[in-house]
Amino acid sequence: MKITLATHGGQIAAMRLGRAPRVLNADSLTAAQKDELARLVAAAKRETETTQTREPRGADLMTYVVSAEDEKGTVTLKQSDSEMSPAFSALLDWLESHLPAK
Amino acid sequence: MSRMSRACRCLNCIMPPHILRKLLESKQEHIREAALSTLLATTRLRGERMVRAATVTGGAPANARRTIFDCRQGTFLPSAVFVRSESDPPSSDASVNQAFDGLGTTRDFYKEVFDRNSIDGRGMRLDGYVHRGRRYNNAFWDGQEMVFGDGDGELFTDFTGSLDVIGHELTHGVTEFTAGLIYHNQPGALNESMSDVFGSLVKQWSLKQSADEADWLIGADITTPAIGADALRSLKAPGTAYNNDLLGQDPQPDHMDRYAQLPDTDDGDNGGVHINSGIPNKAFYLTAMEIGGNAWEIPGHIWYDSLLASTANSQFQDFADTTYSKAGQLYGTAEQQAVLSAWRQVGIRITGVLAGSVGKRTKGSAGGMARDWDGLAALTKQIETLSNEVKSLAKDVAGLKGRR
Repeated sequence: MKITLATHGGQIAAMRLGRAPRVLNADSLTAAQKDELARLVAAAKRETETTQTREPRGADLMTYVVSAEDEKGTVTLKQSDSEMSPAFSALLDWLESHLPAK
Repeated sequence: MSRMSRACRCLNCIMPPHILRKLLESKQEHIREAALSTLLATTRLRGERMVRAATVTGGAPANARRTIFDCRQGTFLPSAVFVRSESDPPSSDASVNQAFDGLGTTRDFYKEVFDRNSIDGRGMRLDGYVHRGRRYNNAFWDGQEMVFGDGDGELFTDFTGSLDVIGHELTHGVTEFTAGLIYHNQPGALNESMSDVFGSLVKQWSLKQSADEADWLIGADITTPAIGADALRSLKAPGTAYNNDLLGQDPQPDHMDRYAQLPDTDDGDNGGVHINSGIPNKAFYLTAMEIGGNAWEIPGHIWYDSLLASTANSQFQDFADTTYSKAGQLYGTAEQQAVLSAWRQVGIRITGVLAGSVGKRTKGSAGGMARDWDGLAALTKQIETLSNEVKSLAKDVAGLKGRR
């Protein structure tokens, strides 16, 4: 599985402009980490599919786009700060601690 | 002509916009000004009706009381823990106190400077959430509350440590309850600019700094030494807040020639709302420096009244025109010329005002230098001088020919 995380907006939007997404190749993970990642992606996908999406209200919100690509296809999940589900938040937390440095 | 200008004033309820726009092209300055004033007034009234209709909440005023919640590194705000109310003593948590104090200072600024009662003008409660997420380099307004991260400690420290950032976020609420500038393209960049301008003014007001004493930086207090940046943004010099291998160069433009054409998407920052805000930011800075004194006084009032007169889709040109009109209505020619010059320096010409138009610059209320300024008369004098010199040269040539 290959995971990419793109982050946009917020107070430091200008510093992020044009930056490539961060990439994690699951081949570098242990078997346990791969399983955990797959579980987190599945949970975030379920929550995102059941949640109504609308343009978030507010300003300086950050938006996160997670793409998980494997042999079955690509799953893309997108949420912003003001509407973040617990499962998506957990996935983001995990990615932040395992992705290569920004 | 005076009969036409009297007609413009008494018919401003039924004068069709297309006629008013034609009058903007008049060679007579007073006719252009009357038409501009009428167009702006009708647009403002239309916008005010829309904003009032959208913000009727029916809720009881809350006296702008502050309440701080601790997210404890979570991201789900309903799970945050209440930690400090308006009447509570300081907390042992510095972030809680910084948010509490910053919201209070911003609230007091709006009340004392603009007589505005909190975000909605009706005493809306001020809810702040601290310790949001982990290593979260951000702060935001979500339509109801202001949320602050702790920073990652590498690039940024705790976002509650910056009074201008706190003022910036609260001002997003003020904008939402007034003009309602949509968060896309130019209106979005104006939205961001209002937050930078008033965020900076909150800091200047609290420190009692005049325009020339202020640093005009946003977020200078929360950058770490490792980041190699002065701040998040500079109103004085957009595009110079940072420039290094880690962050790249600050992409903010300071002139319309360098306006960033970005897509209205997430990765385009909604059309560059945090990027192109540099242009109106610079215009405010220039206005404040030209008028002199405390920037929250005359320049701040011009900008605040212009925000109230703006609408959801106001473009840079619309806002510039409004500031020019407001400067004339609230103050005088000197302040109006300062606004005109500021916008011209960032590449925006005020609608209906001819280049080099005549105007007497008198001593402004802020005590600026007095000087008389008559562009057309100066040009006429130059032409007269050159004409006399040509006549004199022709006489010399005729004299030389006669001696041969």
